[in-house]
Amino acid sequence: MTAASWLALVVVAACALAAARLLGAARAEALRRFLEPRGVRAGVAALLFFVLLALAAPLVSAYGPAAQLDITGLQSAPPSWRHLMGTDLLSRDVWARITFGARVSLGIGVLATVVSVGLGALVGGAAGYFRGPTDAVLMRLVDVGLAVPRIFLVLAVLALGHPLGAASLALLIGCTGWFATSRLVRSEVLSLRERVFVEGARALGLRPWRILARHVLPGTGAVVIVAAALGVANAMLLEAGLSFLGVGVQPPVPSWGNMIADARDQLATAPWASLFPGLAITAVVVALHAVADGVRSALDPHAPLAS
Amino acid sequence: MAAWLPRRVGAALLTVLAVVTLVFFAIHLAPGTPFLPSGDRPLDPAVEAGLRARFGLDRPLGIQYARYLAALARGDLGESFAQQRPVGAALAQALPNTLVLAGSALAVDLVLGTLLGVLMAARAGRRPDRWLGAATLVVYALPTFWLGLVLLLAFGQWLHWLPVGGVTDPVIHDALGFGGRFVDRVRHLVLPALSLGLVGAAGTARFQRAAMLEALGQGFVRTARAGGLSERQVLGHALRNALLPSITLLGLALPFLLTGSVVVESVFSWPGMGKLAADAIQARDYPVVLAATLVAAVLVVCGSLLADLLYAAADPRIRRESA
Amino acid sequence: MPTLARRLRTARAAAVLAVASLLGSCEPKGTCRGEYCGTLVFAAIGQPVSLLPPATDQALDRDIFDQIFLRLADIGPDLNTVGDSGFVPRLADRWGWTDSLTLAFHIDGRARWQDGVPVTARDVAFSFAAFTDSALDSPYRDELKRIASVTAADSSTAVFRFRARYPEMFYDATYYLRVVPEHVLRLEPFARWRTAPFGRSPIGDGPYRLVNWTPGQSLELVADSAFFLGRPHIERLIWRFDADLSVAVTQVVAGEADAIEVLGSPANVARARATPHLTVYPYAGSVYTMVGFNLREPGGVPHPILADPIVRQALVLATDRERMARSVFGGMAKVPPGPIPEEWASLWSGVAPVPPYDTVEAARLLASRYWLPGPGGVRQRAGRRLALTLLVPSTSPPRRQYAQLIQEELRAVGVEIRIELVDPPTLDQRLRAGRYDAAIESWGNDPAPSSGLPGAWKTGGEANFGRYSNRWFDRAVDSAVNARSPGAAADAWRTALDTLAEDAPAIVLCAPDNVAAIDARVAGVRLRPDEYWADVWTWRIPPDRLIERDRLGH
Repeated sequence: MTAASWLALVVVAACALAAARLLGAARAEALRRFLEPRGVRAGVAALLFFVLLALAAPLVSAYGPAAQLDITGLQSAPPSWRHLMGTDLLSRDVWARITFGARVSLGIGVLATVVSVGLGALVGGAAGYFRGPTDAVLMRLVDVGLAVPRIFLVLAVLALGHPLGAASLALLIGCTGWFATSRLVRSEVLSLRERVFVEGARALGLRPWRILARHVLPGTGAVVIVAAALGVANAMLLEAGLSFLGVGVQPPVPSWGNMIADARDQLATAPWASLFPGLAITAVVVALHAVADGVRSALDPHAPLAS
Repeated sequence: MAAWLPRRVGAALLTVLAVVTLVFFAIHLAPGTPFLPSGDRPLDPAVEAGLRARFGLDRPLGIQYARYLAALARGDLGESFAQQRPVGAALAQALPNTLVLAGSALAVDLVLGTLLGVLMAARAGRRPDRWLGAATLVVYALPTFWLGLVLLLAFGQWLHWLPVGGVTDPVIHDALGFGGRFVDRVRHLVLPALSLGLVGAAGTARFQRAAMLEALGQGFVRTARAGGLSERQVLGHALRNALLPSITLLGLALPFLLTGSVVVESVFSWPGMGKLAADAIQARDYPVVLAATLVAAVLVVCGSLLADLLYAAADPRIRRESA
Repeated sequence: MPTLARRLRTARAAAVLAVASLLGSCEPKGTCRGEYCGTLVFAAIGQPVSLLPPATDQALDRDIFDQIFLRLADIGPDLNTVGDSGFVPRLADRWGWTDSLTLAFHIDGRARWQDGVPVTARDVAFSFAAFTDSALDSPYRDELKRIASVTAADSSTAVFRFRARYPEMFYDATYYLRVVPEHVLRLEPFARWRTAPFGRSPIGDGPYRLVNWTPGQSLELVADSAFFLGRPHIERLIWRFDADLSVAVTQVVAGEADAIEVLGSPANVARARATPHLTVYPYAGSVYTMVGFNLREPGGVPHPILADPIVRQALVLATDRERMARSVFGGMAKVPPGPIPEEWASLWSGVAPVPPYDTVEAARLLASRYWLPGPGGVRQRAGRRLALTLLVPSTSPPRRQYAQLIQEELRAVGVEIRIELVDPPTLDQRLRAGRYDAAIESWGNDPAPSSGLPGAWKTGGEANFGRYSNRWFDRAVDSAVNARSPGAAADAWRTALDTLAEDAPAIVLCAPDNVAAIDARVAGVRLRPDEYWADVWTWRIPPDRLIERDRLGH
C-alpha cells in the first residue's frame, strides 16, 4: 500500500458513508423509511463501499492483481504496512486481489441476479396474470427447477464442456436461480390483477402484455427487490462454492471464491490468504440480507422475517 | 384434503419424470470419453467399442432413453464407469451417509435455531437479542465450505479434539463395543453436521424470532397473560403457534442441505451422495451423475410433499377449510 | 416449580451418563505384543479402481497390489535395469540363460496362492498371455513385445524366449509382469478383466491379502503369516482415501494416519517436519513435469505458432525454470537437462546443459521470426497474435501454481497465455485428440529410460501427443534400446537427449524430489523411488514402540 492508495481508500470509504447519508435524507418517503433502521443504513453503506472499492480498484491498490512480486522471497507473507492483507502463495498482494476480485464476484452476483430476477419476474408475471394453461405449464417447469438442488444443475451443465468465462458462468448461475422468484412474483401478481386499476386498464382496451409490464409488474417491486438482494447473495455463495470445487472462475482472474480455493492448502500456514476473501463474502452477504430485511419490513411491517 | 392429495402426489411424480428426462439428455450430450485410458496409452479402439457396447452407448439416444426408463422401473440404475460396479450399489452405500449427515444438520438447524429464536424473542429489543441478532446475521452469511475448513482446522488439527474426516475410524472401529462404535460415529459426525447445520440454524433462529414475535402479539396471548399464566407458559403457547410456519422451512431445508452437502462432504471426505456426484462429474461417470441428481430430486420432492402433509395435519385451520 | 426442578435433575443425570459412556467405551483393548504386531495407516488421495494388475495403471492401485502380487524377481535398491545384476529373487528363486535369447526361471517351491494352491510356471505363462492380450490392452503390452513367448517347461520352470539381444532383457522379463493365478482367472475372458470382480477381491501370492474394502473410505490388508519369504512384521495395512492432499496431510500430522507417500509442497513438508512424531524421508523422484507443446493441429497441419523450433526455443529461454522450481518446491526439485526424472540418475551428466534464462535472447529470437510487438503488449505476425492456451489439471496444486507463474513470465516477452483448468479425463482426451496448444504434463516413470523416452518422443510413440518427429532422435533411441553394452546404451540416450534439447518440443520445468512422511515409531523404512511402498513388508514396529492401534490383531 502506498500513500496514494491509502488516500484513495479513505476517499472511497468517505464517499460510501456520504452516499448512504444522502440517501437517508432523500425526499422520497419510502426511501427514508427504508433507511431508518441502523442495520439497513450500515448494510447500504457497506454495499456502496464494496461497489466503489470494485470500481476504484486500480486506485486503491498499489499492485496489480496478477503481479507476482517476488516468487522466491515474498511468498505467503503475513499482513504488513506494505501489504495490507499479506501475499499469497504466488507472492501476489492479497488486498489487490480482494479489490479486483470484488469486480468479478460482485459482477457475477449482479449479472446472475439480473438474469434470474428478470426471468423470474417474466415467468411469474405471465403465469400469474394469464393463469389457465400458461400458469399450469410454467409452474410445472418451476416445480422441476425447484426439485433439483441448484448446484447439481450447475455442475451437470459445467460437465458438458469447456470451462466458462466469468460472464458465461454468471449467465449459467442466473439461469438456474429464477424458480423461487417466479413463484413469489406469481403470488403478488395473482393478488394485484384483481385490483381496480387493472380492471380499469382492461376496460380501456390496453393489451394484456402492456398491462402486465406497465401496471402490474411494477407493483411487485418490493418482492423483486428482496429477491434480488437475496439472489445476489446466493449467486455469490454459489460462485464461491463452484470455484472451490475447481469449476468456477479460472485463474489468474481473482474471484473471492477461487482465492479461498487456492489458499485452502495453506490454511494452517498462511490463513490470511483465505481468511480475507471469506470475510469479504460474508460482509457483502450480511449487508445484502440487512438490506433485504429492511425492504421487507419497510413495506410490510407485519411480514415475518423469513429468508 | 382427500381431493388434494392424489393431485399433489401426481404432480410430484410428473416432476420426477421431467427431471430424469432433462438430466438424461443433458448428460448424454456431453463430449469426452468416460473411459480413462490406462496411463499414457490410448485405449485400443476395438476395446473402447466393446466397452461402449457393454454400457449401451452405441445405440441411438431415443432407444437409450427407453431402455433407461425400463431399467429404472426395475430398480437398475446402470453401471458406474469409474467404479466398475452397479450404480445402485454405490448409491446404496452413499445415500445413508448423506441422510445421516443431512438429518443431523437438520436437527442442529431446527433445535438450535428454535432455541435461539425463542431466546431472542423473549428478550426482544434488549441486549441479548441484539447480540444474537448480529451473530446470526453473520453466521447465516458464511460460506458453508469455508466454515467447514475453519472448523476442521481448529478442532481437527490444532486442538485434535475431533477426527479429521471420514465416517468411522478405519483402524479401531471394528474392535470397539457397541457403545464405542456409536461414539466413534458421533465424533466423526460432529464437524460436518455443524458446518451444514449452523448456517441453517442462524436462518431458522431469525425466522423463529419473527414468528414468535408475531404469535406473542396476538389476542390469545393477552388472554393468557390476563388469565394469570406465567411468562414461561405463555411462551410455550406462543411457541406452539410459531412452530407451524417453520414446517414450511422443512421443505426448503432439504435442497439447501443437499446443495451444501456437495462441498461439505468434499471438505470432510464424507462418503455421501454429494461427494459421489462431485467425483462423478470430474470423471464423466454418466450413470452416477444421473442417478445422484435423480435421487436428490426425489428426496426434495418427497420432502416438500411431507412438509405439506405435516402442515395440513398440524394446522386445524387448513383442515377445516378443505373438509 | 417442582416439575421444572425434576426435569433439571433428569437432564443432569442424562448428561453425566453421556459423558461417562463417552469416556468409557472409547478405547478398544488390543492384546497383540511382540514382533508381529502393528497397524500402518496410509493416507492416500483418490480411490483405487481395480487390484488386478494388467487391468489398471493407476499409481494408487499399484501401491496396493504391490503388497498382494509378486514378480518373478524384483529390481535391486540401485534400480539397475541393465543386465542381470542386482535383481532380487521373489517368486523365482533362481534363473539362468540357456542361450543368448532364452531365459529360464525356477519358481520357488514354497510359493502359494492365498487359497493354498501352489504357484506354478503355468501361472507365469498365463500372466504373460494376459499382459500381452490385445483385447485387454494392458499398459505394458508395448514393453513386452520383444519377448517372443513364455512357456512352462514344467510345473516349476518358466522359459522366456526373446526376439533379439539387448541390454534390458532381464528387466523386461521381470519388471512388468506380475503373476496372477491361472486357476482362478482362466474362466474369465481377457476382454472382461477391466470390470472383473477379481479386481475387487483379488487372490494373490504376496506378503499381504485383502480383507476389507469400503469404497470411498478405506481398505485393509492383513499379513500372510505363512509368506514364504518371511512373515511381515506389520500385521495390518490400512489405506484411508481422501479427497485431496491437504486433508491427507492433516490426518498424518494429527496422528490419524501413519504414512503419506508424497507431501507435495514445501509448506506440507514444513508442517511434517514440525510434527515430532513424524519422520520425513526425501527420496529420488520418478516424475518430471514439463510444458508439452503441440506441434501439429488435428488433421496433421503444422501448428501455426509452435511448429517453429526457434519460437519454441525462445519460449524455453523466456522462462526462469530454476526460480520457478524454487518457488513451487522450495529446494525440493531440480531442473533436469531434459525430460528425465531424478530416478534416471545416470542420464543427468554428459547431456547438454540446461538452457539459461535469457529474456533478451528470447525477444531477439521471436523478433527474428517476425513476431513483432503489437497492441496490448502481445506480439503479432501477419495479423495473428502470439497467444496460446495452456491446459492444466485442476487436481494438481503445484501445476496450477506453475501455470500462473509461466503466464506472468511469458507475458513479459509478449506471449499471451490463457490458462484452462480442466479435470484429468478432459485433459487426457484433449491431449490424445491433439486439441491443445500447450499443456503442463507430469509423467511418472519406471526405472528404465527405455520404458519412457521412446513412447513419449519417438515418431508415432503412444505418448507422443505433441507429434514430435525427428529421425535423428529416432535413430539414437533405436541404437540405445538395441545397444550391446550399458555404456553404449547410455551414450545413445545422451545423444537422443541432446537432440531433444535442440528441438525444444517442451519446456522441461522440473524433476521434483519425493518427500514422504512416516510415523517415527516405524523402523527399517526403505522407500523405492519407482514404487514407494514396495518394501513395506520388511518394515517393523519395535515392541517397545507399539501404540494402542498397533495392538489390535486379527
